[in-house]
Amino acid sequence: MAGSWWMCCRRLNGGFTTSGLTETLRCFSGQSAYSSASPTARPSWSSAPGKERPLFPAQLHSKALNLNPSLLRRRSSSLYPTLRYCGCRTTHSDAKLRDPFTLAQKDLTSLYDDIKKELFVAKTELKYLCDYYFDGRGKAIRPIIVILMARAMNIHSNRAGDLLPGQRTIAMISEMIHTASLVHDDVIDGSDERRGKKSINDVWGERKAILAGDFILSAATMALARIGNSAVVKVVSQVIEDLVRGEFMQLGSKENENERFKHYLEKTYKKTASLMAHSCKAVSILVNSDPEVHEIAYQYGKNVGIAFQLVDDVLDFTSGAELLGKPAAADLKLGLATGPVLFACQQFPELHAMIMRRFSSKGDVDRAWQYVLQSDGVQQTTYLARRYCEEAIRQISRLRPSPERDALIRLTEIVLSRDK
Amino acid sequence: MFLAPGSSLTRWVSVSVRGLRGLSLFSSSESSSSWSKVVSDAEKIVGYPTSFMSLRCLLSDELSNVAMHVRKLVGTQHPLLNTARGFVYDSKNNLQMRGLIVLLLSKAAGPSHAASELLTKDMVSGIYPSQRNLAEITELIHTAFLVHRGIVNLKEWTVSDGPLKDMEFGNKMAVLSGDFLLANACTGLAELNDTKVVELISSAISDLVQGIYYENYYNVEDGLGDGMDAMPWEDQAFLSHGALLAKSCQAAMQLAKHDREAQRLAYLYGKHLSLGHKLNSDLQPFVKSRLGEMTSFSLSAAPVVFHRQIVGKEKWHQQLQEVKHGQSLLAAVKSEKGVSSAVDLCRYHSNRALEAIQAFPSSEARSALENIASAVNKF
Repeated sequence: MAGSWWMCCRRLNGGFTTSGLTETLRCFSGQSAYSSASPTARPSWSSAPGKERPLFPAQLHSKALNLNPSLLRRRSSSLYPTLRYCGCRTTHSDAKLRDPFTLAQKDLTSLYDDIKKELFVAKTELKYLCDYYFDGRGKAIRPIIVILMARAMNIHSNRAGDLLPGQRTIAMISEMIHTASLVHDDVIDGSDERRGKKSINDVWGERKAILAGDFILSAATMALARIGNSAVVKVVSQVIEDLVRGEFMQLGSKENENERFKHYLEKTYKKTASLMAHSCKAVSILVNSDPEVHEIAYQYGKNVGIAFQLVDDVLDFTSGAELLGKPAAADLKLGLATGPVLFACQQFPELHAMIMRRFSSKGDVDRAWQYVLQSDGVQQTTYLARRYCEEAIRQISRLRPSPERDALIRLTEIVLSRDK
Repeated sequence: MFLAPGSSLTRWVSVSVRGLRGLSLFSSSESSSSWSKVVSDAEKIVGYPTSFMSLRCLLSDELSNVAMHVRKLVGTQHPLLNTARGFVYDSKNNLQMRGLIVLLLSKAAGPSHAASELLTKDMVSGIYPSQRNLAEITELIHTAFLVHRGIVNLKEWTVSDGPLKDMEFGNKMAVLSGDFLLANACTGLAELNDTKVVELISSAISDLVQGIYYENYYNVEDGLGDGMDAMPWEDQAFLSHGALLAKSCQAAMQLAKHDREAQRLAYLYGKHLSLGHKLNSDLQPFVKSRLGEMTSFSLSAAPVVFHRQIVGKEKWHQQLQEVKHGQSLLAAVKSEKGVSSAVDLCRYHSNRALEAIQAFPSSEARSALENIASAVNKF
C-alpha cells in the first residue's frame, strides 16, 4: 500500500514516463497519503481521501517541543515533526505571521520597479511595451514563492532570513520569464485581453509583441548572468527550454486516453511548474550546497506549480470572466482538453471525439462545458490539486521551521482556494 | 503617415521589403563565385563545413513538427516560407557566415597563455569545443530572429495576402520555432560555464531586438520619421546587423581567456565586418542594375537613407510623389551622392576590419579573415 504510493510518486517525479490517468488516480485515492517509505515518517499526517486534512497540527498543541536542531539535521531525510520548535511566536498571531503576502511584502514592494530598471532600453515605445505588464496587477505568485523559499532556505542554512541579492534577482527573473512567455502565448493564441487590459499584440501588432517578449527574455538572462553563478544559470535556463517545449506539446493531441492524461501532466509541468521548481532550486543553490536541500526546494516548487495550474484549469470552467481578467472556457475554445475535461471523459464518452477534433465543430465548446459541469471532472481535478499540495507540504516540512516555511505551507491552501 | 495606407506605392514598397526579408545577403551573381571560394577555403581551415551547424537542432522532434506544419504554408504568402526555403536551399549563398567568422577568429587567436584549465588537446583544428558551441549558438540566434522578423501583423492583413487563417497559422509557427531556437541558444550558453559570456551574448540579443524593432521604420513612415533620423544609420545598423557578430567574436576570445586587447580587437573586427557587409548588401541594387531595370530595394537601405539626408525632406517627398508618375526612384537615388557615400563608408569599414585583424599573429585563419574583409569591399 505505502510502497505502491511511494513508487507512484517516484514515477511522477521521474517525468511522468509511465503513469497514466488510472494509475495516477489509484495513487492518490484509497491510500494513506503520507505513509511514506521512510522509517522516520510522521504518522499524524495520514488521511483518507475526502477527509479534511489537518494543515496546522501545531495549533492543536499548546506547548512547543524543545528539539535539538543538530540532532534533527543529521538525519538528512528526516521529517521535522509538525510540532514546531520556535522560541517566539506560537500563539494567536500565527495566522497573520504565516500569511505569505504579508511576509513577502517588504521584498515585493520595489520588485516591479526594479524589473523595469532591468528593462533598460532607450526607445520610448519599446520600453512602454516591455513595462506594460509590470504594473503590479499580476498575482506575483512566482516572486512570492521565490522570496519565501529563499528566506526559508537561508534560515534552514543557519543564516539570517534576509534575501541575498542574487536571490532577489531570481525572484525578479521568475516574473520576467513568466511575463515574456505570456506575451508570446497571447500571440500564439490570438488573445486580445490579458490581466484586465488589451493584450500587447492587440494594441501594437504581433511583430512588436514578439520582439517585446524577446527583449524581456534577454533582460532576464542578462540579470541571471550577472548573479555570476553558472549552476544557477543552467538551472534557470532549463525553464526557458521547458516553456517552449510545453507550448509545442499543446500543438499535438494524443489518441490514447491514458497517454492523454500523462501528456497533460507533463505539459502542465513544462508550462507552469518548471519555472517555480527551478526558481526555488536556484535560490537554494545560492545559499546551500546540499543537493538534498536543493531537491526539497525543487519538489516544493514543482508540486505547487502543478497544483496551481490544475486549479487554474478548474477556474476556466467555474469562474466568471470578470474575475479572471480573461475570457472563460478559453481552453476549450483553443481546443485544449484540460483536467476537468479529461476526467469528465469517463462519464461522458462523447467527449473523446470532441477532444480529438479539438472542439472545432459547431456547438462543441458549449456541449463540452455542459458535460464537464455535469460530471465530477471539476471535483476530481481539485482533489488531484490537493494531493499535489500535500506533497509540496510534505517536502517543505523537511526544512527547519521558520515563519517563511509555514507561509509556504499556508500558500498551498491559498492556491487551492483561490477564485481567480 | 505621409503615404496613404493601401496606396499602390506603400504596397509596392512593403512588398519589396518583404521580399528582401527572406533574401540572404550577398545574392549578386558576379561576386558570388569569388565569394564562395573565400568561404569554402575558410571552411576547410576550421575543420568542417559550417553549413551543417545547428543540424542537431534541426533534427529535433519539435522542429520536425514545425517543418511538417510549414509545408501547409506552401502556396500562401507568409514570410516564414521564404525564410525556411532560404535556410534549406540556399547553400550557395551560405547563410552561416557568423558562425564561420567566430570559428576563424578563434583559430586565429590561438591557444591562450592564461588558460590552464583549457587543455590544448581539447582543441580540434585549433579551436576549443566551447568556441565551436559559441559559433553554433550565434547562428541559432541569428536564425531565430530571421524567423521572428517574418511575423506579420494580422490587423494589416488584406484580401490579397490570402486566407487570414494561413497568416495566423504561419505566425504561430514562426513564434514557436523562433522561440525554440532561442531557448536552445540559452541552454547552450548556460553550458559554456562562463557567466560573462552569457551576459555578453544576452546583451547582443537585446541589441538585436532594438535594432529590428526600428529596422523597417523608414519604410512605414514617409521616410523621415521625426526623431528617427536622430539615430545615425550606423548606430541603427550596428544594433540590427553588427552587435551579434561583434559580441560573439569578443565572447570567443573570452572563452579562451584571451586578454582584453584581444577581445577588443575581435569585437572591432566583428563590428566593422558586419557594417561593411550590410553596406555591401544594401548597395547591390544600386551598383548592379542597369539602366531601366526594375530592381526592388528597401527604403531603409543605406544609399537611400544617405540620399534622403543629402537632398532634404522636401525634395525627397517630391521624388516619392514622382514615382507614381512612373519615375524611377532608383534612378533618382543613383543620380545623387547617396550611393557614393555608401560606397565610401563600406570601404572605411572594410579597412577598419582589416586593421583589427592584422593585429593577430599571421596564420591561415587570419588570412581567411583578411580575405573576407576585403571581399566585403568588392562590387
